[in-house]
Amino acid sequence: MHPPTLAALIEALHALPGVGPKSAARMAYHLLQRDRAGAARLAEALTAALERLRPCERCNNFSETPVCSLCANPRRDPRQLCVVEMPVDLNRFEETHAYSGLYFVLMGHLSPLDGIGPRQIGLERLLARACDGVTEEVILATNFTVEGEATAHYAGELLKARGLKVTRMARGVPAGGELEYVDGLTIAQAYLDRRPL
Amino acid sequence: MRGINNEPAYVLHSHPWKESSLVVEAFTRGHGRIGLVARGARRVHSTLRSRLLAFQPLALSWFGKGGLKTLHAAEWLGGRLDLSGRALICGFYLNELILKLLAPEDPHEALFVRYEEALQALSGAGDPQPILRRFELALLSELGYAQTLDRTAEGEAVLPGGRYGYAFGLGLVHANGHETSFSGKALLDMAAGDYSDPRTLAESKLLMRTLINHYLGDKPLYTRQLLLDLQAL
Repeated sequence: MHPPTLAALIEALHALPGVGPKSAARMAYHLLQRDRAGAARLAEALTAALERLRPCERCNNFSETPVCSLCANPRRDPRQLCVVEMPVDLNRFEETHAYSGLYFVLMGHLSPLDGIGPRQIGLERLLARACDGVTEEVILATNFTVEGEATAHYAGELLKARGLKVTRMARGVPAGGELEYVDGLTIAQAYLDRRPL
Repeated sequence: MRGINNEPAYVLHSHPWKESSLVVEAFTRGHGRIGLVARGARRVHSTLRSRLLAFQPLALSWFGKGGLKTLHAAEWLGGRLDLSGRALICGFYLNELILKLLAPEDPHEALFVRYEEALQALSGAGDPQPILRRFELALLSELGYAQTLDRTAEGEAVLPGGRYGYAFGLGLVHANGHETSFSGKALLDMAAGDYSDPRTLAESKLLMRTLINHYLGDKPLYTRQLLLDLQAL
């Protein structure tokens, strides 16, 4: 059997998504045997991240300062607020350089069948954030899954009731897409979401 | 290894599994509720993932024995409008009922048809309440949980003017004053699938809720809670 410290390490690594007990054990042996310096860096980085990172007061993304650098940037347009599910979605948006407004990160989506409701995601904080008097348009960019759609619908209803302009990110045929190679469901949805020219 | 090909089905729920796969709970026409692993469905170029959406008519193909089967193909059959807004939450509610009340791999073809009808009706305009009540009654009847509503447990015909109580496992009994009771007219309306009378709608909601809560035991219904929480915002 493993000594208790090793067992605890394996158990801790097992908490990572997609890591089963076998992978966790392999990672633990690797860190202890082959990469002790890397293990020390990992431990330090984890401690520092837990200590210093807090949700940004404005966008709910991880930040070292009470308001993150993106929210504090005066060159961003404060009239637009883009709502995404996760920080990774915000990064994807930023990579496009197409958007210059601000963000709100929900840190999840409504998932009725998993018991994840408005209290478990930052819906209440979003309402408070969007009603700052400066925001004019809220762009809902949650995923196009059934859970993302439910989240967008309810966030949209609550925001509209507070007098804000609410838009939903478009969905449809991808850039450079040829209809011949696009799946039927996407074409059907693109047809439903068609816009006048 | 036994394979099933192109079985009409709906995805009820899915969750990530291991590095790049998805576990899908599906409601199939001929095999009831089954668990499937969609290998690699979470990879960037997977064509499976975009098809494995709830409320869309699919044809699924899988193989394997035991609890979790391996999904190897999913075709979108087309033709259904998207559920959106409140209808979407109603759809989640239907899925939650199936997930929590149906035993895995028990075929329920008649219920599958009723589920399809309910989704079709939900995607249209109009009040979702009668649609939900019809499906609840169909589900409970299919499972043998709801006794006939036009006769009492003793075989007497239900009279529109009478008041009746419901005894679990037995069926309708004459109301004896102190328990929750239902009007004969509401029960007859429900048996006939007619929910046009608002009183029938209200009484059927109470009866269905009582029965569903009883058979769920202490399993919570998350979709019901979600609607309450959203109303509080």
